Amino acid sequence: MKTIMQSRRMHSFLGDPSAILGLIILLCFLFCALFAGMLAPMNPYDLASVDLANFLLPPSWMDGGMNAFPLGTDDQGRGILSTILYGLRTSLIVSVSVVTISSIIGIVLGMLGAYYGGLLDAFIMRAADTVFAFSTTLIAVLLLGMFESRGLGTVILAICIADWVKYARTIRGSVLEIKNYPYVTAAIASGARDFRILFRHILPNALPPIFVVMAVDMAVVIMLEATLSFLGVGVPLTEPSLGMMIAIGKNYIYAGMWWMVLFPGLTLIAMVVGINLFADWLREELNPKL
Amino acid sequence: MATYLIRRLLQGIIVLLAVSMVCFVMFRYTGDPVLMLAGKYATQEEREQVRVAYGLDRPVYVQYLSFLGGAVQGDFGKSYVSQISALRMILERFPATFELALVAISISFVLGVGLGVVVSIKPRGWLSRIIMAGSLFGISIPTFLIGILLVMAFSVYLGLMPSFGRGDTVQIGFWRTGLLTASGWYHIILPALTLSGYQLAVLIRLTRAGMRETLSEEYIKTAWAKGLAPHTVVLKHALRNVMIPIVTITGLSFGELIAFSIVTETIFQWPGMGNLLLTSIFETDHPVVVTYIMLAAFIILTINILVDVLYAFLNPRIRFD
Amino acid sequence: MMRKLFVVPLLTLALAALPALALAKAELVIATDAPPKSMNPHAYSSDANLSYMSNFFDGLLQRKAPEGALVPALATSWERVDDLTWKFDLREGVKFHNGNDFTSADVKFTFERMKDPKYSKLLNIANSIASIETPDDYTVIFTTVKPVPWFAETMHQNFIVDAESSADRDDGDYNTMPIGTGAYKLDEWVKGSYVRLIANPDYWEGAPTYQVVDMRPITEESTRFAALAGKQVDIVNGVPVNLYERVKAMDHVEVISQPARRAIYMDISNMADTPFADLRVRQAIAMAINEEEIIEKVMSGQATLAHQIPDPPTIGYDASIKRLDYDPEKAKQLLAEAGYPDGFPITIAGPNDRYVNDEKICEAVAKYLAKIGLDVTLDVKPKSIFFDELADKKHRFYLIGWFDGSFDFGRSAEKLLHTPDDAKGMGVYNGAVFSDAGIDEAIIASSSIIDRAEREAALQAINRQSVADVAWIPLHYQQDLFAVVKDKDITFMPRSDRWVVVKEIK
Repeated sequence: MKTIMQSRRMHSFLGDPSAILGLIILLCFLFCALFAGMLAPMNPYDLASVDLANFLLPPSWMDGGMNAFPLGTDDQGRGILSTILYGLRTSLIVSVSVVTISSIIGIVLGMLGAYYGGLLDAFIMRAADTVFAFSTTLIAVLLLGMFESRGLGTVILAICIADWVKYARTIRGSVLEIKNYPYVTAAIASGARDFRILFRHILPNALPPIFVVMAVDMAVVIMLEATLSFLGVGVPLTEPSLGMMIAIGKNYIYAGMWWMVLFPGLTLIAMVVGINLFADWLREELNPKL
Repeated sequence: MATYLIRRLLQGIIVLLAVSMVCFVMFRYTGDPVLMLAGKYATQEEREQVRVAYGLDRPVYVQYLSFLGGAVQGDFGKSYVSQISALRMILERFPATFELALVAISISFVLGVGLGVVVSIKPRGWLSRIIMAGSLFGISIPTFLIGILLVMAFSVYLGLMPSFGRGDTVQIGFWRTGLLTASGWYHIILPALTLSGYQLAVLIRLTRAGMRETLSEEYIKTAWAKGLAPHTVVLKHALRNVMIPIVTITGLSFGELIAFSIVTETIFQWPGMGNLLLTSIFETDHPVVVTYIMLAAFIILTINILVDVLYAFLNPRIRFD
Repeated sequence: MMRKLFVVPLLTLALAALPALALAKAELVIATDAPPKSMNPHAYSSDANLSYMSNFFDGLLQRKAPEGALVPALATSWERVDDLTWKFDLREGVKFHNGNDFTSADVKFTFERMKDPKYSKLLNIANSIASIETPDDYTVIFTTVKPVPWFAETMHQNFIVDAESSADRDDGDYNTMPIGTGAYKLDEWVKGSYVRLIANPDYWEGAPTYQVVDMRPITEESTRFAALAGKQVDIVNGVPVNLYERVKAMDHVEVISQPARRAIYMDISNMADTPFADLRVRQAIAMAINEEEIIEKVMSGQATLAHQIPDPPTIGYDASIKRLDYDPEKAKQLLAEAGYPDGFPITIAGPNDRYVNDEKICEAVAKYLAKIGLDVTLDVKPKSIFFDELADKKHRFYLIGWFDGSFDFGRSAEKLLHTPDDAKGMGVYNGAVFSDAGIDEAIIASSSIIDRAEREAALQAINRQSVADVAWIPLHYQQDLFAVVKDKDITFMPRSDRWVVVKEIK
């Protein structure tokens, strides 16, 4: 049964060129991020290896460019290409951590809330209402605005504080439905323990919509991290992510130094488009009623 | 209905209280306002004077209660930086943000629904494919990047559009508007496009999804069968039904709009609330930040309740209990 | 549907209203890099805010462009009667914007108000006053608590407010509507957009040249450039350094670049039990920094190498002082001699929104220190938070800027160099905590010397020793960049304090 499902799914995936493209893009970026240390000509996060003498160089094919810096350098002499590779890593670390942490918190709380009801459920619903009204972006901006020190950890924390609610709400809907399925009621009647019922019987069937939310959320979090860093409440200055690179480059667009904005910008767009292409396919495929 | 409304209002108030408490607690642990108030050259003794003058020597809960008491009367305290009423500072900036948001919503609504309909009528046409590809990019480009790319293209390289400010404005009573001058409209185009971008893309996708579902329903098929003109079928019968969730979602995503207005206003130096918020965050001007959060919460909750009521009104099948 | 609801009526309204609106246009538009925070002249001690205030208010004295010579304003003459006593004779016949006469009562009221932390951040100078006497309407005698040699030197920035109207004005109004004696009245303050000034026809120095002037605060550097390129402003105070070449290339603009008074330096501690206690470590750090490269790259050449903290016009400046040369090899050697061959962890702090390219300078310094083997952490943050932390003495090594508005190194040394002592009000700005008993003594001794030449020699000695001891590492003096459009026949002479005093523009 399961293998048939998978093969049908694989068939549908192979029949959808945009989904394949999305996955390829995503895998490429993952590869680049994982091996940034080896692929990048220099380590832009290592202060001792960055040389101010090479600042504001154009891409290597333009006048004044240097082959050591294919896409040019920024105002501190960091190579744009290297910084993009390391920035990708930052983006993906934030995005994967947030998605993992908030989905776990969301799934556990959402399931418990839906299964037992009561105060926990009421809290989750109120939290969900509030977060949906304010939007994760606004909450993260305001939280980071109030934090005294900022860094990768605080960015992840600030996003997670609002983000888990999405998952809790999604799983809650599924659990409430599945709870009344005959095989679940049968399991309850047979005296199975709650833990077993929740994780063996309910969770596997409640997961498909969660996968879609995770895929979409990955793209959303990448954009959110970029936005926060752009606003100056995100990652530290010496370790620029894509968003901060664009913020730095913004000051130089009038000086004609387009490469500081355009390359990280295109990378960011490509990555998010890739994830969204894949997420679109997943949504069609799993067809959850979201 | 009345009970439902009262319950929603009570919930709203509880959320506001919770928000205010979170703000207050956070601020107790993010730096000492006294240093901000007394200036960096002040001696310890001068700082103590300031602490007493501003009532910062009282216990935290007393400070919180007095803050709440003031807030109920519309007094959120004075900006640490300018010593001007925080609420007044924010309300002065409100028209700029409101006009930007209004124009942005109009753009995304008209274009989003319009293009969504186009796509759903001929899903396989080349135009539809371009629109859908565009909407995919729309949801994949963060707002700040849209803004920067627009500035780069239209202000830096083509030199066609202004890249900052509101242009000429006119004061009408307490409201300063940029929508009554040509220069005002000229200046609002890029920021409004930036702010509308994401929502535009979302609305295209929503309209398309809604239309696709509706167009396959029986009563639409009946309408086609009756030989009604295509625009009557699409616009009068199908779109009307699709509009309900669209209006709801537009209303409910107001928080997102406010968040992205912070980004947009920063890029375009738009003299609105979002710009003020970011400055105040960096200046640790707590009263302004708190007032902003409270005001944003108030506006968002109000709109949510209105949308709920509107929803019930549009769709009598919904009953609140 | 929506189109009918919103856009059509708005457009119709706009079109209908257009001919009816004759918008008041300013004759002169000046872009600056910071907005005013308040219209209370004592609310903020930053030069940006004082610059706005100088148009609405007068001090007892004023400084004239370009060098900042101290000349009479609301006082016609002044003298230091003895160590503690200062006497000012006031100008007669001056009126406030609301028609009230200016008298000694206003001066007394002003300085008393300046002691109230609710209204003032200029507590330091106000609290140094023990008593104010007004023997008649046009004489004021100040007695200070301790000798303050530079007392008169600050009188250009202590702006006089009207006693009668200010005493019972609503705070909100007081902070938004200035009533002074200045050459301009405030017409409109549209926050985030512009401050519109209207000429005061009855100004005691004669009515200013321009009748309606807009001051536009544009904080974003690239936006200031865009405004200039789009010919939306006539004068720019604070041309972005990174776009200097671009601005120079514009045909319609003249760029003025002049040395600023402000020195940018790295403040460093000598606290016991830190690596900084060892002079060799401080020297190594100073030698590791390639300041000439910072000037060339980060500052686009728009800065002058600093060998010391005070600038040439300041009493206490000593042209013979030389900074340590850039020598990373020697630096490593010194570190090894001091017992740190493998370096040690060091945090470089600094503001990121205060000085020209401040955070980039910090980043560059971080790189130089990493290259001599130190384990560097960069900790830059908005000035509001950063200065709080300085007050808490949190950082041992940080970037900061300083210029002495009173042109007196004695005042600077009391605040920056003397061991921090809150009770005496000393070393309030010595956030890194550098402490040297000999220097402290010399500073105290210098404040009682009345003879100018003798005092200058004493201050120069303190200055020399501070550099020799590496109490700080001077980096550069900023260069102030201004742009003026050519075809409008504007005569604009930039001031060394960067204030835009509109009455000086012809």
